[in-house]
Amino acid sequence: MRKKRLIYTLLYNKGHFMLSRNFRLQKVGDFKWLKKHYNFEKIAFSIDELIILDVTREGRDIDEFSSVVKEVVKNVFIPVACGGGIRSLNDAKLLLNSGADKIVVNTTLHSNKELINSLVKNYGSQFVVGSVDFQIENDVKKVYIENGELKIDENLEDFLDEVEKLSIGEIYLNSIQKDGTGQGYDIKHLANTFGKLTIPIILAGGAGNHLHLIEGLKINSVDAVATANLFNFLGDALPKARMEILKKELPLANFESISDVFK
Amino acid sequence: MKITIVDYGMGNIYSLQSALKFLGFDSICSNKSEDIINADKVILPGVGSFKIAMDNIIKLKIDKSIKIAVKEHNIPILGICLGMQLLGVSSTEDGFSNGLNLFEGEVTKFIDQSVKIPHVGFNNVNHPVNSTLFKGIKMNSDFYFVHSYKMTTNKTNGIGLTSNGENFVASFEQGNIFGTQFHPEKSQTNGLLLIKNFITF
Repeated sequence: MRKKRLIYTLLYNKGHFMLSRNFRLQKVGDFKWLKKHYNFEKIAFSIDELIILDVTREGRDIDEFSSVVKEVVKNVFIPVACGGGIRSLNDAKLLLNSGADKIVVNTTLHSNKELINSLVKNYGSQFVVGSVDFQIENDVKKVYIENGELKIDENLEDFLDEVEKLSIGEIYLNSIQKDGTGQGYDIKHLANTFGKLTIPIILAGGAGNHLHLIEGLKINSVDAVATANLFNFLGDALPKARMEILKKELPLANFESISDVFK
Repeated sequence: MKITIVDYGMGNIYSLQSALKFLGFDSICSNKSEDIINADKVILPGVGSFKIAMDNIIKLKIDKSIKIAVKEHNIPILGICLGMQLLGVSSTEDGFSNGLNLFEGEVTKFIDQSVKIPHVGFNNVNHPVNSTLFKGIKMNSDFYFVHSYKMTTNKTNGIGLTSNGENFVASFEQGNIFGTQFHPEKSQTNGLLLIKNFITF
């Protein structure tokens, strides 16, 4: 049986890893800080996947970002998806050659469908994760692109219909209002959305503790839950959260610690 | 030990090399015939379209080198993900393409409409007993899959199976020819053990 996934998302901005709240960024620490508090070499067996996003608002540098990716994923043998500012096939190729198994696209889903088509044609549907950010306005789910700064005309349901037609592999669904709040995912507004999608859904935005992760994983058509909260899952919090999820008999993979087997 | 990762422009080679390095093995990435036919182990990785991959392989004349390596020099080969599929007979992805024809498996799209495609995530593999690849790995261990097309075969020996609505080939081992649909380099401890088993075969 296919298992559900617990995903950790890292937000990177010019040398620093960030905390995001409602898409406003706060600097947390550099690579040294990350290594101290999130040693992925050691805690990789408590997550199923790592997503690394370059959220730099101005002057993104894909070469620099790829070298950061290489450094973070060193000796981390789990799937990695990377994104932020991918504007060409070459950008995607660079990330692929730096350890990414999949790429994450957001603005491009709206503004450059041709690029999405060629990514899918060259690397397959499974290579492309579509990240979609939304916000509730007068009870309507509005979609934002450009790091949550630009509202587009379509509402969430229509946009997701359009995105599914691009034959991408997965949807990363993020609530701007819940982002970084630690109050839990926006399950209330998404309840009717989940079942409509025929591709895997990663639920993001709002997880503050393991109960929120469990709440998300309990939804049938949610395939994965993600958290980007650098403060709430420090140290051994991720391994502990996974244990709590497994206790609830939710279908997660069982991993053995790498250091127990390869001494 | 000379480990050659076949480089035809498609695949997460960095992760594979990192995994080998972690296990203490150096490897080279190459599409040169001499590196393939003189290797101790050959790994065929791959992400993407079967058709584009085969076109690249034929253009680079890698198909001939791989066949000489595997059939004449008896060099063990491991195909990973798309690389495994390429070792098969054919695929219906983007029309129809012939594969390298080293394993009697055919690649087609998942047909069960009730499950989500692509098949993404960890899933358990029912592996063959007395397996070379899965030596020391518990039955039904989880490995990471990410694919939209699946391989099926009439063979029963040496086949590892996984289910996503329907059963498909998760792994095969036939003499010196090995394949895994999942990514061992992305499957944590079990994946590393599997790579080690192949390299030390």
